Amino acid sequence: MSHEWKIKSIIIILIIFIMIAGGIPLYKHRHFNITIVAGPGVTKVVKLSEYCKSLKGTMADTNVFILEGKKEGGKALIMANTHSNEPASLLTALIFVENAIVEKGTLIIIPQFNNSGGRNTRPGDGYPLYFEIQTDWGKKKFRMGNREASPLDQWPDPDVYIHYPDRQLLSFIDIRNTNRTWPGRPDGPLMERVCYAAMEIMRSEKVDIAIDLHGAETMFPVTNCIVAPEKSMRIATLTSLTVKAMEGFENHVEPSPEGFRGLSHREIGDYSDTMPFLLEAPVPFLDQPTGPKTMDLLLNGKDPFLLSLSKQGKLFVPYDETGWPMRKRVGQHCSVILELFRQFSRKFSDKAIIVRNVPRYAEVVKNGVGHYYHDPKKADKKRIYYN
Amino acid sequence: MYFKIGIILAVMVIAYALAKWRRLSVELSIFTSAIAGGLVGAIFGNPPFNQLARHLVEGSFTYLDVILIFSTATIFMAIVSESGSVNYVVRIIIKYFYNKRIIALLLLMIIILIPGALTGAGSVSLLVVGAPVALALNYLGIPKRKVAAILFIVAGLSAAAPPVNIWAMILCAGTAIPYVGFELPLGIPVLLLGSFTVLLLGWKKEGKMTLKEALKEIPEVPPRMRWWRVLLPFLVFFGLVAMYRIWPFSTPILGLPLEFTISALIAFLISPKKINILILSRDTIKKLLPLLATMVVVGMLQQIMTATGVRGLLSFAVISTPLILLFISLAFIIPVSEGILTYGGAAVIGIPLVWYFDSIGLHATVVMAGLSLLWPLGDGLPPTALIGRLSVMVSEYKESYWTFLKSTWIPWIVITIVGILMVVFSAKLSFLVQWSM
Repeated sequence: MSHEWKIKSIIIILIIFIMIAGGIPLYKHRHFNITIVAGPGVTKVVKLSEYCKSLKGTMADTNVFILEGKKEGGKALIMANTHSNEPASLLTALIFVENAIVEKGTLIIIPQFNNSGGRNTRPGDGYPLYFEIQTDWGKKKFRMGNREASPLDQWPDPDVYIHYPDRQLLSFIDIRNTNRTWPGRPDGPLMERVCYAAMEIMRSEKVDIAIDLHGAETMFPVTNCIVAPEKSMRIATLTSLTVKAMEGFENHVEPSPEGFRGLSHREIGDYSDTMPFLLEAPVPFLDQPTGPKTMDLLLNGKDPFLLSLSKQGKLFVPYDETGWPMRKRVGQHCSVILELFRQFSRKFSDKAIIVRNVPRYAEVVKNGVGHYYHDPKKADKKRIYYN
Repeated sequence: MYFKIGIILAVMVIAYALAKWRRLSVELSIFTSAIAGGLVGAIFGNPPFNQLARHLVEGSFTYLDVILIFSTATIFMAIVSESGSVNYVVRIIIKYFYNKRIIALLLLMIIILIPGALTGAGSVSLLVVGAPVALALNYLGIPKRKVAAILFIVAGLSAAAPPVNIWAMILCAGTAIPYVGFELPLGIPVLLLGSFTVLLLGWKKEGKMTLKEALKEIPEVPPRMRWWRVLLPFLVFFGLVAMYRIWPFSTPILGLPLEFTISALIAFLISPKKINILILSRDTIKKLLPLLATMVVVGMLQQIMTATGVRGLLSFAVISTPLILLFISLAFIIPVSEGILTYGGAAVIGIPLVWYFDSIGLHATVVMAGLSLLWPLGDGLPPTALIGRLSVMVSEYKESYWTFLKSTWIPWIVITIVGILMVVFSAKLSFLVQWSM
């Protein structure tokens, strides 16, 4: 073997080694399942594909937890992990799934709305593959996902995405973004089918309010807020004022722009009788000018670059040495959801939604997020779900 | 943290410089830089050492789509060229427009603008029509250095031109601003700057070739070559692109790589000359390999830069710059970010910039349009220099890369000034957005 071929062989072996060593963790990540313990309030668990048959057998299919109250009332849908790199949404949804007891009305929860996105990574962005939440019984492990569905599940992308049905031109990547593919269609690309299935839940179950949980950068003007269209504006405003007055945190209201199509807070309202709300909590991890993208940054939100930018007045949320810890973000989501229910129930008393056993902001901040998750080892096996 | 990340950045720069000094290729130098950054980062704990291979593999997939488009588009064009179509088109252009120089130049500019405007990729313009246009410009008496310069600037502008501008789309997706109202803020400057560039660089006829000599010089085309054989593959390609635009909800999504492959098959089937498609594809990919490798290693570099915090430090440095200085430094920051990160630059630098400019009362859509004129310039800068290298490749310019780049200086400066002025006066130019809607 010549000298050149020896070098080439060594390089090829090295590359194969790197591919295997680097590929195995990515494969494991895609197939890792999160354990969910269905709480006392969960009365039924179905698959999203029950509302759009073509989702069956795809990576986009996901669990839908239904919590029916003893008394009839209004119906609410909570969607989390629409963007799977905004994990406060998933953690909030799981607090509801594992703890909530519905006194009146019905709660429908989809904790991993873009299941494919939750099994995707974000090439070029150096995210950790997992994050862990400290609980009273040990650490609970979660996948860190991506904003868009995996190209392994929906590919190829077009050169430009044309939104259905408004024909607005959107970035090609948005065809895999479940907050651009609303209201969706049953025979469209996979993510349009996911949104269509959710629309079918809302239409067939006559859902009154839909809450889409998100997170956004501290440098993004639309953060730490409730986004609402005209029909949801009154309840959103009352909720915002109440949480500020009673619980001491800011959560302003942003109007849903009419000219920007495909978003849940726009299309749900336009294509169903449901009132949509989109909740945004700050996620320093998503900001571009931060240090390394670590699990610590994801969970605690502390970053010296952002602190400096905050002092320069370049952030849209208050930011100090304490950062934006996960417990604060999840606590805000919990309180805002409960307050939306309360304000809705006050306005429409015949369709009241009364939920108990879910912590509010101060409790989550005090006890931590993990305090509200149950130990799967001690739970009834029939109550355990994997997603 | 500043100190640690600063050290990692310094090591990455030194590793790149050392690799270049040891005469390693651009691709291997970037790879060396990524590995060095990752290893030093691992010493500081970010990324953890056991995650280093995963980051490299994951990063290598960042531009997989672009790699597929480059490969299929180049094979498509290679088949078209091999069939004799390119020489046929060049012969016609020279025959009818040799003595109508301005019309010829403007016509050739439009030909380069169309594929890039439709796909958002200047590389597609060069890969699809670059070779025939370069030949036509040659026969119009323009030296190869200037031909490469024209191709580079106009192909870059084609990527910025509406309806598809990927930088603006990335910015819109990241800033939650609808991708609407860009037609005039992008279309007007692109047409004006494109015309200025072709006329400036192509006005002077430097060769002494007469029309007769030029026609004699152009290689003979196969006798059975006809217009329909030239046009059909392109019609199929643009037809597939247009089909999704016209009937988006009933057309299956093929994606650009498959659209190029189908068009390549058509070109192969109707070629008047027998083509060995396997050998041609192998040779084409061999030529394209350095560019494809660059895309792979740039993705790795980007991933390591983010995982170590280097990317964040650079983004922080840009956002922290005082406003006036920031406006001036856009001339450097934006092209350099493209040169290092390609489209990643729009996400890393562009998104925070747009948010910041929006918060001080500038008009976000016009700001994005202005920045979009600056990003293509970076496609001529190392380490990636994607459009620059393709321009040199299709124009068959064999001299120094820097000599080619130097000949773009006047359009480069004019485009920079226009782009920055659009950002600074974006609020006053917002009527362009209104008129577009």
